[in-house]
Amino acid sequence: MKQFKVPVDLIMSKMVDDVEKGHSQAQKASEVLLDRLETMIAQTPYEVVYQEDRVKLKHYKAKKNKEYKTPLLVVYALINRETMLDLQPGRSVVERFLAHDIDLYMIDWGYPTRKDRFLGLDDHINGYMDNIVDFIRKKNKVKKVNLMGICMGGTFCVIYSALHPEKVRNLITTVTPTNFETEKGLLHSWMKHIDVDSVVNTYGNLSGDIMNFGFLLLNPARLMIDKYVGFVEHMDKKIFVENFVRMEKWIFDSPDLPGEVFREFVTECYQKNKLIKSKLVVGGKHVDLKKITMPLLNIYGKYDHLVPPDACNQLTKKVGSKDTEDICLDTGHIGIYVSSKCQETFAPKIAAWLKARDKTTKKAKTKSRIAGKTMEVQKKSLAIAAASDMKNKTRVL
Amino acid sequence: MEDKTKDPLGMESMVNTWTQSMNDIMGTMSQMWSAYQQAHQSGQQDKKNPGNDTMAAMTAALKNWQTIGSAMAAPESMASLFKGTHTMPEIFTSFAQVVMGSFSELQKKMSQSASRLGESVEAYSFEKIDENIFHVWTEIYEKEFQKFFQIPQLGLTREYQERINSMMDKFHLSQANQAEFLRLICLPFQRSMGVMQEKIAVLAETGELLDDSHEYYQMWIKILEGHFMTLFQTPEYIEALTRTISSSTNFFKAKNAVIEDMLKDLPIAQKSEMDDLSREVYELKRRIRRLEKEHYK
Repeated sequence: MKQFKVPVDLIMSKMVDDVEKGHSQAQKASEVLLDRLETMIAQTPYEVVYQEDRVKLKHYKAKKNKEYKTPLLVVYALINRETMLDLQPGRSVVERFLAHDIDLYMIDWGYPTRKDRFLGLDDHINGYMDNIVDFIRKKNKVKKVNLMGICMGGTFCVIYSALHPEKVRNLITTVTPTNFETEKGLLHSWMKHIDVDSVVNTYGNLSGDIMNFGFLLLNPARLMIDKYVGFVEHMDKKIFVENFVRMEKWIFDSPDLPGEVFREFVTECYQKNKLIKSKLVVGGKHVDLKKITMPLLNIYGKYDHLVPPDACNQLTKKVGSKDTEDICLDTGHIGIYVSSKCQETFAPKIAAWLKARDKTTKKAKTKSRIAGKTMEVQKKSLAIAAASDMKNKTRVL
Repeated sequence: MEDKTKDPLGMESMVNTWTQSMNDIMGTMSQMWSAYQQAHQSGQQDKKNPGNDTMAAMTAALKNWQTIGSAMAAPESMASLFKGTHTMPEIFTSFAQVVMGSFSELQKKMSQSASRLGESVEAYSFEKIDENIFHVWTEIYEKEFQKFFQIPQLGLTREYQERINSMMDKFHLSQANQAEFLRLICLPFQRSMGVMQEKIAVLAETGELLDDSHEYYQMWIKILEGHFMTLFQTPEYIEALTRTISSSTNFFKAKNAVIEDMLKDLPIAQKSEMDDLSREVYELKRRIRRLEKEHYK
């Protein structure tokens, strides 16, 4: 039998070195973990300017005078929380937008309870979103808003823009699934086989804990083992620990998903893929992607395992707009938002893109003033006509 | 000989002896009781004593036992009693046959997987997943045992009994499917260890063994990740996942139905009632919002 040359002495001495290193690392780690850690997220100040049921609208005021006449409304997904966009100072999409003096609004979908299980796509899009858009338009005295959606929030924005194009000036979609006929993503193949009616009828809302577990199951080796091995290896570094804990706070902060939304999203989108075919009906209204005629910027991640590129890159071909652009970044699903490197690329790109299409100029303002005055005159004449009608009717009686 | 074939265990003769003995004992006790009663009554002739009712009841009970004993001792009664009891061993035998058949099926599968010991592991291959023992157990349960939980129930509480049986049935199915699913999840760990061992053997052969444990870990995690990604795309995994979700959902529904039965008599609002209320509130709100929008247009 062949004798294998196993350098036992080298292995043993390496082990001894590792043990010594481990010991000093453990000592430093205990100092770090027992010390005060800065792990708060969503620290950028905002004001809640509107609330309807559990849904709130956060307003981040621009630092200087508003550079952009049209406010930007960011719509996050119903899965996880929008706090990801403001993880920490220096790694915050919100901060970067504010640095460009964008007047920023963000929807906080809150924490659905059992009573919200009946709220479907129509309630969220034509209900809450539409009311919020109207509120922003009225508050800022603008006819249209800029809309930016993230993941499922982007899908909501696409549907909203198709149903209410007159209220949307520019549309930005990021890691947004619109085409669900792809086998590339695991979620896509799993959702096709699920009996969603049985699940929703039994459980009501889809529990956040179950969703978390489901997402971990997408890559258990990396997300359940390697991630924590990495933490143990670096837990003697305070900044690493703080960043890690912030991510953990966000990633496991999962609200429940309203049952009807889950049912409609899985059935109409994942299983029947109606959105990209312009066959989706929401609230009795047909969602025709050709009605999206406003400029569209579509950003997605090349290594996104949740929403693969095939699920995102069909949108620009199906809309009616002539001003469309696709940007594929070398990152995953949330890397776009949490990686400071990506933020340095994509946030300025969005700001510049919006600036070039911020159409509310002085000329347009004058036009609207004149139009407003004409409206006033018309209203007065209508009122006078109505009053004289009343007089006549009284006389007849 | 003839007696032995009719009554192989000697039960009939044993019961006969017992019945006769009981008859004798009851007879003796009855006589003793009568003697006691007479002695007691002679001292209290004209008084109406409540204790007399007890004595009368005792006398009646003893006389009944004596009657039953005499009737049981009759050969015709014994014969009809044992006619039924002879069928009992046959029922047990057929039941045991079913159980043994199922266990032999399980054992066959286990020996098939044991025979694969020593075979080299193909990396990232999940072709032989159907060797899952838990899947065999699920099939046995569905074929042989599930029907007992589906027997129609009788009586005033039949609906409650049926719901409890349904819950038990769904519980077993849910457990079996979960075990199957967990077994599939463990497969990549099993296969990865095998691949790692082969890789280390190759490195050892060529004298290129790594001295850093961290590199072994990196190698292992990469192999494990690859195995998981391969497994997740197999039809068996998707089927196991959907079956697990479906069976857990069914059990949850059945369990809720039983809990609602239990809570019905308590002054607590039930989930289904709250759901109905939420739906009504939701629909009212929708109507109001629609009307508001139309009104303010």
